[in-house]
Amino acid sequence: MALTRTAPDRARGTRARPPGAGRPGWRRRRDAIGLVFALPALALFAAFAIYPMLRVFQLSLYDYNLTSPPVWVGLDNFRFLFGDDRFLASLGASLFYVVITYGPAVLLALVLALGLNNRMRGSAFVRLLYFAPVATSWVAVSVIWRLVLQPEGLLNQTLNTDIPWLTSSTWAKWAIAIAAIWKEVGFFLIIFLAGLQNVPKDLLEAASLDGAGALRRLRYVTLPLLKPITVVVLVMAVIRGFQSFSPQVVLTGGSFGTEVINLFVYKTAFASARMGRASAVAVLMFVLLLMVTFVQLRALRRSA
Amino acid sequence: MSTRARARAVLIPAVAVLAVTAACGSDDGGSTGDGGQIELTYWTHTHPPMNELNEQLIAEYEEANPNVDITYEMIPNNDFGTKMLTSLSNGSGPDIINMDDSALRGEYIPKELLAPIDPAAFGADSVEELEALYVDGTLDGAKGEDGTLYGVPSEFNATAFAINTQHFADAGLDPANPPQTWDDVAEYGQQLVAAGHEGFNFVYLHSGWYTQQLQTLLNETGGSILNEDGDGSALTEPESVEALQIWYDLIREDQVGNADTASREATSPFEDFASGRRSMTMIYPWAVEQIAIDNPETFENLAVVPLPQVDPANPSGRWYGYYFAVNKASEQQEEAWRFIEYMTSQSERWLEDVSFVQPLQGWEESPAAAEIPFLEVWSQAYQQGRFDEVGPHWSEVQDAIKAAIERSIFDGQPPAESLEEAAESVEQSVTS
Repeated sequence: MALTRTAPDRARGTRARPPGAGRPGWRRRRDAIGLVFALPALALFAAFAIYPMLRVFQLSLYDYNLTSPPVWVGLDNFRFLFGDDRFLASLGASLFYVVITYGPAVLLALVLALGLNNRMRGSAFVRLLYFAPVATSWVAVSVIWRLVLQPEGLLNQTLNTDIPWLTSSTWAKWAIAIAAIWKEVGFFLIIFLAGLQNVPKDLLEAASLDGAGALRRLRYVTLPLLKPITVVVLVMAVIRGFQSFSPQVVLTGGSFGTEVINLFVYKTAFASARMGRASAVAVLMFVLLLMVTFVQLRALRRSA
Repeated sequence: MSTRARARAVLIPAVAVLAVTAACGSDDGGSTGDGGQIELTYWTHTHPPMNELNEQLIAEYEEANPNVDITYEMIPNNDFGTKMLTSLSNGSGPDIINMDDSALRGEYIPKELLAPIDPAAFGADSVEELEALYVDGTLDGAKGEDGTLYGVPSEFNATAFAINTQHFADAGLDPANPPQTWDDVAEYGQQLVAAGHEGFNFVYLHSGWYTQQLQTLLNETGGSILNEDGDGSALTEPESVEALQIWYDLIREDQVGNADTASREATSPFEDFASGRRSMTMIYPWAVEQIAIDNPETFENLAVVPLPQVDPANPSGRWYGYYFAVNKASEQQEEAWRFIEYMTSQSERWLEDVSFVQPLQGWEESPAAAEIPFLEVWSQAYQQGRFDEVGPHWSEVQDAIKAAIERSIFDGQPPAESLEEAAESVEQSVTS
């Protein structure tokens, strides 16, 4: 038994190893060379991703307006934010946007994926149609929706209403959610479709033979097997939701209760030049997203 | 691995790192090219007639000074303040800026981002001598609290009122008898609405526009944004509430205009009036030229009249200006001031071509001024104005005011309640 396992392994090893691979220190040299090759990419990543992130953590403890040297304020920025109505309102706006946009978008994507998973004529074209908004930039999509949502725009004409979609605190956040659902469904649809391709056909056939109808097969076979994908989708949905910026800027400029957290950070940092306070918001959001993701992953493990 | 291969494995990535580092560090923002060539950068906001004249003047200056290259950038209006402040703050801004007085006094001067003016570039021996060239008080928009002067006006604006005489005729109104009070605006506006026009409306663009229009009304009611010490809000004072109440009554109660359908195109702030949709609007001198370009038919029917008043016996108005100034971090300050001197020496062309008033002493008697329409109205408006208030973290204050106006005008919240919310935000901004 041992012979039959080691002989081919040794043979494979002999073929795969470069000359001199057996010499002492070879592995260390190989690692060093690999590291050298990776160095440019690592240097860029460190300079443009890691360092700014660390600076944000550091700056969150300072009062810094870009022109004067940073002044240490400890946790004052965080203390201020917890009592700041504008920050809390922007947090609320972001939460609203995440729930109202990505809840329906994920659900709709799942339903559409289940429908489009069957091979039928034209399904590839329909998939492409749903994916087209994903490939379009947020700014372009927002400009299109601004036309649709104008007082005399397509939506009001279709509904025969005169709703001020973009100039009312009641409607603006819903209007942005409608546009965002339209854009984001395709993204999650593709992920769900990929997940559905991996659901074993024999399990579904076995369930059919056992007398399970379409709904029972969905509930007891397909959805449980889609759970890992669903968690990935939910994590991505929350992150994408909290990262939202462009639709709010283009459609409302952050007015009418649509100043989401990223827009608040942008204005705090670059219009008010309060870099320390803006960094503190970024740190809080980092922690919040980390916690949400952790909870989602734990929930997956528990249900698995 | 051979020695050569090892060397290659180490050297290639190292060279790549060096190349990237060199590329990142190669632009040191230097403004002096080879052979003594001087490179200047100049940023303005977007206003097509002004942009065109700037390009002409730059070309002339470069022709007369072959050793000077000027890179001119027009920044979209909604991003202008943010981009300018950020770039100046991190030392990468242009050599020459053209910026409004609120931003100068509220942000740039207190943050020491600008170079004090160089009177020698203007042929003056002292700042006092330079100041004497301008109408009294008109340079205050570019002065620090200690009186240091940081710029000269590219345009100096007072506020008046525009009416469309054809619309007035449609509504059976006499254009020779324009509205004198805001009550008149409400009355006339309703008649104009009945005649199928939008009677009157304010302009709903960025927070600066919201604030300046409220400030115009505050000047008339005697209200203010900040208290006398500048460390708290005065928005809940009755005079301040009255200002927003005028706005609220006109749009929500008298319904002389629809805020929901107002244009939000910042490049052409008076689009609704120019397009012939709106009958009455507040107006500034520079807008006249833009209306003439956008719609000659509206321009034919344009009349500029004095700004309606809360108390016509004690008229009030609002001044604001844009000023040429020089980045303190510029390495070409001397040449930058020389270029600005050239720009201001063309004051007649600014007036003729783009209706920009550069308030040099006696500008009203100049041949160019004689050609500008409604000169007597503008002259009167220049007599009764004052600059806007500013304070610490003014962009946040402007955001709070914009939000308050939107709550009242778009959502219907009573002005007193809305301003109470705004007052809390303003106090927090100016004290933290």
